[in-house]
Amino acid sequence: MAVKGIKSKDRHILNLANIVGDARSIIYHKEDLIAYDCDGFTLHKHLPKAVVFPNNTDDVAALVKYCSDNQLPFLARGAGTGLSGGAIPLNGEVIISMVRMKKLLSVDFENRRAVVQPGFVNLKLTNSIADKGYYYAPDPSSQYCCTIGGNVAENAGGAHCLKYGVTTNHILGLEVVLPNGEIVEIGANGIPDAPGYDLLGLLTGSEGTLGIVTKITVRILKNPEAKKTVLAYFDKVEDGSQAVSDIISAGIVPAALEMMDKIAIEGVEAAAFPVGHPKDIEAFLLIEVDGIEAGLDEQINNIMEVCKKRNVREVRAAETEEERARWWANRKTGFGAMGAISPDYLVQDGVIPRSRLPEVLNNINNISQEYGLRIANIFHAGDGNLHPLVLFDARIPGQREAALEAGSACLQACADVGGTITGEHGVGVEKREEMRFVFTDEEIIAQTDIREVFNPFNLLNAGKLFPTPGRCVEIKRELKEKETAIS
Amino acid sequence: MITAELLSEVKALIQEDRIVEGENDHLLGNNGLVKVYPQTEEEISAILKYANENGKKVFVEGNGTKRGFGGLSESADILLSLADYKGIVEHVVGDMTLTVKAGTNFKKLQDYLAEHKQKISLDPFHPEAATIGGIVSSNDSGPKRLGYGSSRDVVIGLRIVYPDGKVIRSGGRVVKNVAGYDMNKLFIGSMGTLGVFSEVTVKLRPLPKYESLILLFFPQGNMEEIKAFAQKLLDSTMEPVTLELLSPALSEGLTGQSCYTLAIGLEDVETSVQYQENFIKSIQPENTNMKILTLTDAQAFWNQFYSLHSLESESLITSASLKIGVVNMDVTQVMKESQLLGDSHHLEVQAHGGLGHGLCQVNLKGSKEDVVSAIQQMRETVAGLGGYVVIKHLPFALRQEVDTWGPKPAHFFLLEGIKSKVDPNKVLNPKRFVGGI
Repeated sequence: MAVKGIKSKDRHILNLANIVGDARSIIYHKEDLIAYDCDGFTLHKHLPKAVVFPNNTDDVAALVKYCSDNQLPFLARGAGTGLSGGAIPLNGEVIISMVRMKKLLSVDFENRRAVVQPGFVNLKLTNSIADKGYYYAPDPSSQYCCTIGGNVAENAGGAHCLKYGVTTNHILGLEVVLPNGEIVEIGANGIPDAPGYDLLGLLTGSEGTLGIVTKITVRILKNPEAKKTVLAYFDKVEDGSQAVSDIISAGIVPAALEMMDKIAIEGVEAAAFPVGHPKDIEAFLLIEVDGIEAGLDEQINNIMEVCKKRNVREVRAAETEEERARWWANRKTGFGAMGAISPDYLVQDGVIPRSRLPEVLNNINNISQEYGLRIANIFHAGDGNLHPLVLFDARIPGQREAALEAGSACLQACADVGGTITGEHGVGVEKREEMRFVFTDEEIIAQTDIREVFNPFNLLNAGKLFPTPGRCVEIKRELKEKETAIS
Repeated sequence: MITAELLSEVKALIQEDRIVEGENDHLLGNNGLVKVYPQTEEEISAILKYANENGKKVFVEGNGTKRGFGGLSESADILLSLADYKGIVEHVVGDMTLTVKAGTNFKKLQDYLAEHKQKISLDPFHPEAATIGGIVSSNDSGPKRLGYGSSRDVVIGLRIVYPDGKVIRSGGRVVKNVAGYDMNKLFIGSMGTLGVFSEVTVKLRPLPKYESLILLFFPQGNMEEIKAFAQKLLDSTMEPVTLELLSPALSEGLTGQSCYTLAIGLEDVETSVQYQENFIKSIQPENTNMKILTLTDAQAFWNQFYSLHSLESESLITSASLKIGVVNMDVTQVMKESQLLGDSHHLEVQAHGGLGHGLCQVNLKGSKEDVVSAIQQMRETVAGLGGYVVIKHLPFALRQEVDTWGPKPAHFFLLEGIKSKVDPNKVLNPKRFVGGI
């Protein structure tokens, strides 16, 4: 039976429309599809075949089964805020958009868990339970619009994961549609350590390549009794980064420990949420501790002492909640703020051992000079998670390419000191080749072997996460051929 | 193959004085015809490669504290012990990360870290004997999981020797990492069925500046009162690191008082701990008694707690240990059920469970038939609650009668698929895991 209002001769479009049931649940005209040709990573673009909007798990399963049976590449998409291109339809995929599956299904305060659909927006969860004094801990900067399903796919982090962990530490159960359309439930009732391999842990952060999450049980936490936030201004980046190491080694576990350098400060001060940071400082630290109020002063004093030993120019605690919120708004909108001082920018996401901060920042500075591009640094310093922002102007020939190369060089600098190429944004399309900075071909094959168990025909979100065109795949094929030849 | 032949082949892989003939009558099974004690990763790799290419089976152990945990074959060809593969590879004090060889003793590790005012925030059972590799491999955790999480929250990197002898790294040495699949998770709790841990990298935490333990005794044993109190505490902004309910028999062994007891651990700076103590006093229910242990006294309590369940195997009395997972507040149901089973089956029962995380441990002692029957009954009850029962410790003979892991999950084909990708020849710990994996 044809769906009313569909004007297409493509039988797949007609059949997909049939599954979702009405013309408002499918997009297939080229001009409408352009909005879906990339996500938060805009340097690669490709048009999808169609975008479909399922309303429930059964719809998703039917869509997936249809794509699988007909060898149509497909992928799932949340709010499209991903920064590594995980939702870009590289192969003209059918995009299964999860935005209509956006219900908060249940909250169980007694057992501290909530069940949400994947399209439910991160911050809405906290807002829905705040009146009872609870919150959902992972807080990526895009939390006002990103979806929890997307957070699971990317294992999203955030400023406060220094103390509370990233998404994977808060996921208790998942309902998943596998790439053949089968529905499985992992971590039933949100009870930890269910017998078997930890598929919850494996699926979280698999960047939508192993299955499509349709229901998520998350842990919710009680709000800390109190929070205290400190801002520390430094005349030397080196002093600021030494202070970070000193705070961690002093046995303090801040809820958040953020840093921005001079160029980043120039950006946020020119954008929508200026704080009035002094223009001539080289770096600031934004440090938050939380917990039992009676214990916080001692921690704050320790932090202030550490900063003073490292020649801090000024260090002060937020006096009001309004002031604290202003500081955080300034930080959380930091990436976008670069738009105020540069026509284009590229966000990177390396991680390093915390004690190597001064050395790596110095190397990034050298990279900046080498490529002739300004690089701002906004980062979760407490985790060693750097976000170098390479500023460029795409209108100038060659700058886009130079920015990509400079970004990659920053990741190499992180890998060189024993770090990694992504702390929270994922590999996606963007860092496929950089996977080789940290993994051997054998190690990459060990991972693609796992993908084959879930996604044997690689129809789901193909071309993401792993180097391609795959030198690895070729090696693997060679190995297999050898084996066959021998046997 | 006769053992002599196997022995001579193994001698080509590892120094002779690192090989012993296996003991074949161990009550807990999981034996090997030969037992080897490699000291290098190359040796581990050579042994696995040999086994993989020659159709041999390998069991893996650390120091043998989990020998009664799963396993349906009495003996493999080779029992690979990591007890001599030990030592710290790298401890970056300022980064609070630590890389150690898998056979390193947990208690010694914690003692060493304490000199730097740091710790691994895991509290497994039998820390004096257990190895870090065994703890992570079996995903063992204790009451402080409420405050600090479990292996999956602590392990940031692994070096794993695959069944074909290749060495694969997962994760890394940084505390935040989403490069590629989170393969660490796959190996944590995999019971050695996918690879042999060579090195484990963990993130560390500072030692708490102060700690205390509140023991709240409920002489009347009213479960509703216990639950109401626990909910009140959990709904407050207090931050207990344990909220463990102890059964009367367990509490008697630890505190001398035979009644349900809540062990509430507090770890923070002193002012914060004292503030929390005062809060808890202010909501102390009627008809309860309270005792507060601080610092070394609190630590002594926990040390005793972690080693209480004897690993000795006796032939006349059967001892079993169950790990039970339920929804947090259903811990009280599990505790009630274990008391009832103790009475109806003439068992010695010691049980405890975390009201903040839903994991319980129930230790049973009694006749063979009674233990088996009690486990089956407990499984039925817990299934009714939507939870699971895993048998952490049971003599080999009885593991044939009651499945260590319980029914296969509906997504078993995925687990099987992973196993056959990583270990197609089923070399490592065959039949040790869920559904005979």
